[in-house]
Amino acid sequence: MTRLRSDASARQALGLEAMASCFQGLIPAALFTCSKDGTPNAAYLSHVDYVDSTHVALSFQFFNKSKRNIAENPQALVRLIDPDTSQGWRLKLRYVRSETEGPVFERMALRIEAIASYSGLKGIFKLLAADIYEVLAVEAVEDEAAMEVTTQRRSACVDPVFTMQALQDLSTRIHRADSLERLLDSILEGLEASFGFEHSMILVSTIEEGTYVTIASRGYPEMGVGAEARLGEGIIGMVAEARKPIRISGLIRQMLYALAVQKRAHEQGIVASQRIPLPGLAQPDSQLGIPLLVRGELVGVLCIESTHPYRFHEEDKTTIELLGSYLAIAIQNMQLQERSAADAAAQEGAAISQPAAKRAEPAAKAERELAYYAGEECILVDGEYLIRSMPAKILWRLLRLRTGEGRAEFTNRELRLDKSLKLPEWKDNLETRLLLLRRRLDQKCPDIRIVPRGRGRFGLELGCNVALVERP
Amino acid sequence: MIDKELAAFLEEGIGIQIGTRNASLEPNGARVVAVRVEDNGTHIVAFVPERAMKLVAPDLEANGQAALVFARPPDERSCQVKGVFERMNAAAGADERFVRDQWRRWLERLTMIGLPLSTLERWDVWPCVAVRLRVTALFNQTPGPNAGAVL
Repeated sequence: MTRLRSDASARQALGLEAMASCFQGLIPAALFTCSKDGTPNAAYLSHVDYVDSTHVALSFQFFNKSKRNIAENPQALVRLIDPDTSQGWRLKLRYVRSETEGPVFERMALRIEAIASYSGLKGIFKLLAADIYEVLAVEAVEDEAAMEVTTQRRSACVDPVFTMQALQDLSTRIHRADSLERLLDSILEGLEASFGFEHSMILVSTIEEGTYVTIASRGYPEMGVGAEARLGEGIIGMVAEARKPIRISGLIRQMLYALAVQKRAHEQGIVASQRIPLPGLAQPDSQLGIPLLVRGELVGVLCIESTHPYRFHEEDKTTIELLGSYLAIAIQNMQLQERSAADAAAQEGAAISQPAAKRAEPAAKAERELAYYAGEECILVDGEYLIRSMPAKILWRLLRLRTGEGRAEFTNRELRLDKSLKLPEWKDNLETRLLLLRRRLDQKCPDIRIVPRGRGRFGLELGCNVALVERP
Repeated sequence: MIDKELAAFLEEGIGIQIGTRNASLEPNGARVVAVRVEDNGTHIVAFVPERAMKLVAPDLEANGQAALVFARPPDERSCQVKGVFERMNAAAGADERFVRDQWRRWLERLTMIGLPLSTLERWDVWPCVAVRLRVTALFNQTPGPNAGAVL
């Protein structure tokens, strides 16, 4: 079967759109070129990407013979394999131009940079250009026949009715949520129940500029709240930096490819930076990261992962991208609503400073040492890291008030007015920071609890004796 | 010339493609299921499924220029063998086991990068055409700054 591109009407017949799975880099593509003196060249290729109905882009990462051949003779052949069906394809190509900016370059570069950052190869393993080729013909390879179409996912995910029902279900869950905490959990529950995405997390910037911290997660052995990703690190950091979605399939293979580059680079004296542990699965094979944007403002990052090499198909990506804006608005609205509610409650005088209520307490309490390192704004519990930055300052302030003045009830409003905390006046994210703090305590030190008491109020409950130590 | 270490790598069951070109310098390519290094590394025989061979046989007969690329997941070691076509013939029955064993080892490697063996079960493996090439040059193609260096 050959599809030739001879005129405009035939362009549609090339059917590149239906080959989306081939462009995920799951199975290495092969590139064939020829020098002007007639010597053929064959090479495996990192990425082939869809550009439009008549063009593809090939990744250019290293100067090599293929690149030199194309400069002399623009004809090329690429062999691709569809990971869903195993059908082999031949694409006859003609080189058009190299792009070093623009949407195609950015999309390819982001994916490669995210992989590079996992390997400590950012800046070494990178895209030099997206080479754009016109597709002259597409041929199915006879000896690489497709297997029977048994892909169960197609019966569900591709079905628009399924997608609409899933979106409706997720929407219902979101509308039922009455707090930021419930909303975040509902989103992740809905992604699993409606779309089958078992491993997901939402990260927000509540600690400091350029650091994204996990505030809700689902499907991991440990809750993982508090795990951080810095701007530009891994898929989360890259999504946050570029504010664009990134999908990576066959991550393990692509990491191995990057590591092969790292080994060669090391042999030539190029030193890669250390690999950084990032939130999420230990060995994900597919990742989809979506920026949660509201009018250009980054509310957070949604990251979905899988151990399957090709979990996120084109329709998954499209649906979740569309969903991203909706989720971002829902999260931002809830943040604003919680802040307004807290302010309103404070004005009504609902919250007042009170001494710790007498509670039935266990006869023999454990003792915990909480150490605050002022220089690093970081708290350790019995020598183990708990929290840092603004949430650490807040907890330390609360503990001092609890142990010094015997207070156990607090208001969001008083924290906002507390000069020692230096919360930003505009968009202080206090409610989100308190949620992060509460979840970190639940996870790492359940003897100390922050318990909501209604709009804009919360209690600090101690199930242990605390020894507070302040260090420089 | 292909030394013993390189010959063992080429024959261990890895991804292989053959590249050719026609009179208009249009590149062409096909899948190779196995290779055998012969005559102390001066020659190499590529086993190409019959239906794939239809794609590249006219080029080989017309101008004789060929390139074989090899790549091994998971370490991505890769190299290219340039050669000149000498002859081709239907692979002998005695070669079938050799070819199938090499292909099986390649499929096992694919499972290491997450692709199930069943995915490729409908691909042609046998019968094959044995394409004998005289080796003219060897290049390292492992991805990285040194890709393209002469071996």
